[in-house]
Parts: sequence; structure tokens; C-alpha cells
Amino acid sequence: MKKEISALMDGELFEDEAENLLDQIKRDSATHKDWEIYHLIGDVLRQPEHIHCDLSEKVRERMQDEPTVLAPRGRAVKQKVRAVALSAVASLAAVGVVAWMSLQVSPEAASQMAMQQSALRPASAQIQPKSNDYLMAHQEFSPSIDMNGGASYIRTVSYSTDEK
Amino acid sequence: MRVCVALCGLLLVAANTYAGERQISLDWLKTVAFAAHQTDYSGVFVYQYDNHVETSRIIHVVEPDSEYEKLESLDGPKREIIRHHGQIWCYINHKMVQVDSQQVHGRFPSLLPEQLSALSSNYLIKEAGMERVAGYPTQVIMFQPKDGLRYAYKIWAHTDSGLLLKAAVLGDKKQVIEQYAFTQLQIGGNIDRSWVGAKDFAGHGAGLPVSPETAMGGTVINSGWVVDALPAGFKKTREIQRPMRGKHAPVTQIVFSDGLSAISIFIEPADGDEDDVDGLSSRGAVNLYHKVLDKHLITAVGEVPPRMVMQVLDSVRYNGK
Repeated sequence: MKKEISALMDGELFEDEAENLLDQIKRDSATHKDWEIYHLIGDVLRQPEHIHCDLSEKVRERMQDEPTVLAPRGRAVKQKVRAVALSAVASLAAVGVVAWMSLQVSPEAASQMAMQQSALRPASAQIQPKSNDYLMAHQEFSPSIDMNGGASYIRTVSYSTDEK
Repeated sequence: MRVCVALCGLLLVAANTYAGERQISLDWLKTVAFAAHQTDYSGVFVYQYDNHVETSRIIHVVEPDSEYEKLESLDGPKREIIRHHGQIWCYINHKMVQVDSQQVHGRFPSLLPEQLSALSSNYLIKEAGMERVAGYPTQVIMFQPKDGLRYAYKIWAHTDSGLLLKAAVLGDKKQVIEQYAFTQLQIGGNIDRSWVGAKDFAGHGAGLPVSPETAMGGTVINSGWVVDALPAGFKKTREIQRPMRGKHAPVTQIVFSDGLSAISIFIEPADGDEDDVDGLSSRGAVNLYHKVLDKHLITAVGEVPPRMVMQVLDSVRYNGK
């Protein structure tokens, strides 16, 4: 079993084998412990000054602290259903993220998490028209202007239909 | 031994091919940037994000003194922007208002060498085939971030002129965050210049107004505000104190860039009625995050994932006297 876990960590298992093993890790606490210990060993070898202990727990905590921004306001009932659905999706995804995280514990992992989460986050509020001046001021110094020319200024004056 | 030499040779050839390919991509970027400023064109493009789609017309002409550009919305309420040599006018409350005037060095801006090197250290640039856009043949170029911190970009550049005919910002799952695409475009030839003419521009009689509020532009300063958790690859490109329309006091703006995307931090005195501004909002690839800190209203804006504007803003602090 330990040999298999080690092979999985090295990415040497076939996809179906890996899936079976991951399944087992999730169900069987002893296997799960082995899995964590192997990662701890790997971490210590790679970066002794920075050791993660039970990363999955911390990731779960961080995910729970994340704000869930829901917008636009005003459609309360629909929103609620959506919120429930989304949080269900989010928790499923959290499991996925944890599994994925364990697969590749690297210094960039935390920052990649940021990207994963932003994908999960429900659409945030629309930028208010009164903030257009910030967008305009930003656009002037953004390198996107060098490539796109003036077309990217459309962002600074774009309107939304539910503005009125 | 002979095998080893052959292997080394092979590696060298591979490395050269790779470097060559990268050089071609960088050359493309220079062409695209050059074309954006130095081509006469007029066309209609579509801008799309989430379930929002709108159509606009853009006219860009090059005159001996500099470039002139007019962008007008074709859908929804009338919106119009005119740009000329660092000066910007915008259609607000039924009239054209000057919203900014910044010092521009040189007649035409161009990609700086440091920008190109930042770009290639943060993104993998590669050519991704040929496609047809708005009736023109284009070269597709991908900018794949080397980490998961930033968006990916995909651009379609006209093979002859280098003009950008389509551009998309992609998330980590390759989903489109926002995109622009020309649907009709005329490159060169007889393009309407009736709106240009020196007479119509600021300081030459009638035409576009000069606003004393914004006319002095920005001045370079060292504000004392710092960002502790700047994402990898981002460097400060500007720190200015500038007037801003509708603000009583000058606003400090600090700009950070990774060569392709940028984050601006705005710092201004809080005037007490900012209760409603806290939080995150977005428009296409641009995310905006506000926060009040030590009696200052701080705003982060950038074409980067929401998490990144939040991270940057949350690490802003005053380090001055």
C-alpha cells in the first residue's frame, strides 16, 4: 500500500489506479494518515523552513472564512436557492480542491488556490458608474492600452442594463 | 562520448528553436503595439462579458503631431471618449468634459524593453495558429501565465498590419472573462477626420473644453504608502499625485504591472460618507475593491482575478513619516 501511495505522489499511477487509491485514502483513516505522513516527509525534504501540518484542515477553514458575495440584490427568493446550490457546489469543489492540493503541494499551491476560489465565487457586484473615473485613471497606465489601443477604454464607460 | 556530443548538439538545436520562437512572438508584440498607435482605422467592435454584450465604433487617425481617437457607444445611453496625446474627454451629462490630461513623452508611446522582459518572465508566449476575424487573416497569440495568479490572454493580430482584431481574457479553466472583437473594420484609406482638426481641440478656440480641474495632470511623488503583499512579477511603474474629476483633493495613484496586466491603488482622504463603498465589484476582467483605512479611502483596480486586488489592497499601509 505504501508503495502505491508513493507512486501516486510521484504521478506514476494510471488514472484509474489513482482514482481507486484516492477513494481508499478518503475512506480509510490509516491510509489517509500514511498519505499525510508521506507529504510531510516530502515537504520537509523540499523546504525544511516551511512545513505544512494537516493542510487539508487549514484549507477547509480558509474556505469557510471566504466571503460569499452575491449580486445583484433584490431577487431574494431566487438568490436563496442559488446560494444554497452554490454553497453545495462550493463544498463539493472544496473536497476537489483539497484532493487536488494534496496532489501537488508546492510553494505556488496557495496562490493557485486563489484562482480556484475566484472561479467558484459567485458573480460579485457590478462596478458602479460612479467608480468609472477610477477605471479611466487606471486604464491610462495599464499596458493593455499598448496592445488593444482605445478599445479597452470601453470598460471605463460600459453600462449595465440593470443600472436604471 | 560521441553519443553525449550528439545529445548536446540536439539540446542546443532545441534550445535555439525555442529561443527563436520566443523572439518571433516578441517581435509580434512590438508590431501589434506599433500598429495600435500608428495605423489609421475605423471600425465597429463588440465587447462582451458575463451576459453583457455591447457594440461600439472606434476611429483612430494619425496626424503629424500625434494620434487622435474617438470611441462611441452604439448601444444604450450615449457614451463617447476622445483621446489625444494624454488628454481625454468624455461625454458626461450631455456635454464633452475633459477628464484627464497627462504628460506624454514622445509623439507615440511604444512598448518599453523592460515591459517586454516583464512580459516574457511572467507569461509563456506562443503562436497558436491562424484564424479569420472580421474578414481579415490573423495570427493568434497566447499569453499563458506561468503561475495561477493572473489571467491568460489570447489575441488575434492582423497578419499584414499587426492591428489587434480580437482579444480575449481567459480564466484558469480557459473560460472567457471578457472579449473584444471587430465585426467590421477599415484599415487605412479614406477615414473620417472631420472631428479632428486642430481648431476643435483644447486651447484653439471653440470645440473641446479645457478643465482647470484636471488640466495640470499628475506629478510624480513618493507618497509613503506601500504594498506588502505584491504578487510575484508585479513591479511599480508609476506613483503620482493627480487631480481626479469630482474629488476635492488630489488623489495618490500607484500603478503596478507585470507587463500585460496592471493594478492601480488610489489613496484619498476619506470624507466620512463612504459607508456604502466597502467591498468587491467587477466589470469584465476588471475588479475593483474599496476599503477605508486610517481615515483614507483606498481603492484597488486591476484587470486581475478578484483575489489579487483583495490581497494587494489588504496589504497596503502607510510607511511615511
